[in-house]
Amino acid sequence: MAATMKLTQTETRLFLRDPIALFFGLVFPPVMLWALGLFFPGFTDPVAELGGDRYIDIYGPIVLALGIATLGLVTLPPILGTYRQFGILRRLRTTPVPPVRLLAAQLIVHGVVALVSTTLAVVVAVAFFDVPLPQSPVWFLVSFILATASIFAIGLLVGSLVRTSVSGQAIGMGLYFPMLFFAGVWIPRTIMSDGLRLVSDLTPLGSAVQALQDSWFGTTPSLLNLSVMAAYAVVAGAVAIRFFRWE
Amino acid sequence: MPVIEVEGLVKTYGDARAVDGVSFDVHEGEIFGIVGPNGAGKTTTVESIEGLRRPDGGTIRVLGLDPIKDRYEITERLGAQLQESRLQDKIRVDEALELYASFYREPADWRDLLARLGLAGKETARYGDLSGGQKQRLAVALALVGSPEIAILDELTTGLDPQARRDTWETIEEIKRAGVTVVLVTHFMEEADRLCDRIMVVDHGRVVAIDTPAGLIGRMGSKRRLRFRPSIWLDDAALTGLPEVIAVTHEGPQTVVTGTGNVVHSVTALLAQKHVIAEDLRIEQASLEDAYLALTSDELVETGSENR
Repeated sequence: MAATMKLTQTETRLFLRDPIALFFGLVFPPVMLWALGLFFPGFTDPVAELGGDRYIDIYGPIVLALGIATLGLVTLPPILGTYRQFGILRRLRTTPVPPVRLLAAQLIVHGVVALVSTTLAVVVAVAFFDVPLPQSPVWFLVSFILATASIFAIGLLVGSLVRTSVSGQAIGMGLYFPMLFFAGVWIPRTIMSDGLRLVSDLTPLGSAVQALQDSWFGTTPSLLNLSVMAAYAVVAGAVAIRFFRWE
Repeated sequence: MPVIEVEGLVKTYGDARAVDGVSFDVHEGEIFGIVGPNGAGKTTTVESIEGLRRPDGGTIRVLGLDPIKDRYEITERLGAQLQESRLQDKIRVDEALELYASFYREPADWRDLLARLGLAGKETARYGDLSGGQKQRLAVALALVGSPEIAILDELTTGLDPQARRDTWETIEEIKRAGVTVVLVTHFMEEADRLCDRIMVVDHGRVVAIDTPAGLIGRMGSKRRLRFRPSIWLDDAALTGLPEVIAVTHEGPQTVVTGTGNVVHSVTALLAQKHVIAEDLRIEQASLEDAYLALTSDELVETGSENR
């Protein structure tokens, strides 16, 4: 336990020393939401196309999902690739502390950063743009946890298979951008065609956006969205654990 | 008293037998060297001792324990520096040591370790900013931070410049003085000769020889070469008549006598008896490197068997 704490502390320091991870993982989501709301024309006006919602209302959940995806798919896999490539995981195997604790520490660090980033983005939405606080806080938290679990499980799966930092980055990015698309970063889910929205529902990030959106505005998230995220978390997590290579 | 006992170790990767029936003991308090060409099975052997690899055959006992079954206990009592293993570039020296110290029941005082390894003052340096020699000394510090009884160092000095290598030798001698048994994998014969109490030569996954450095050199058929300028004319026949002498040649004013065994003694005795003064006498002796090359060279082994 003491060793896991120490590992988490050390990994936190290392994360904070990486300016790129720090910016894109922690700062970018709230700043992007703030900038969109402030500078994008009409972003805070009700739009008939969106059923009277404002763009800022639907981009809150999108930005949260983007932050989680950045941490899980862009930051996490190359770190695991590096740790394998450098022999850090192998070196740990010769100590009394098994390397799985280092993975746990990484997931804790990334999870905490996701939580902080999400909180900051919610604060920005509420403080600057009259977005209400999440109306179903428990479902909101559940949605956040499932979204994080599913995306991190996929990141862990990528990290479990790649040999190097570079391949971790490449594969992570290859998943990142399609997922962002289905999350509605470029075309919000509300204005997607039914077919496209169904595909989006079947991706973890698409379901994450919908579940966060629903719970933020007081609707219980659909079983479909929650199950999709849970399924990705369990399946990708199990495969990652099964095939994880320590060296 | 052996602290490591390896008996008939076999490890195969696919069709290749990386280690093919290796047996040896490492005694408490010694520096035990493992030398051999690349791919001879050195690293596989030590990684099996560390419990990183599961042997396909044979038994290993480390401090009386099984590296696979008693893995946890061995990790507490055996410290390892792995070949081609590094740390995160942005981790600080003190953070790395504190972290690794937190892994063990009875960690050593890492500040004391740093001082002993010549890294005092580098506490707040980042790993990525350390020189090659400093990185390796930190690797040694991390291997020792759990107060192990055995330290395994795999190619610790590969890639270091000669000065850094020599500094690292001091470090290894320091470990031995502290009472830690050291297993040293190297391919520098000078290093093995200087540091090791005993050396195991492996080739193609098999043990070729286990001996002291002097003993290995002695196996060269103890071939030696005397080179001198005789003060007065000396009949070659007198020299070739000595049983230890193989050949006598002349290079300018110098006489060169090649022989085995006690050739130095018998030649100097003959010279004394004949009242010949050997001016500029030089005795050239086989080095550990010669012995190693002879032991691991396929050609020489074949020639040797033809002669038999």
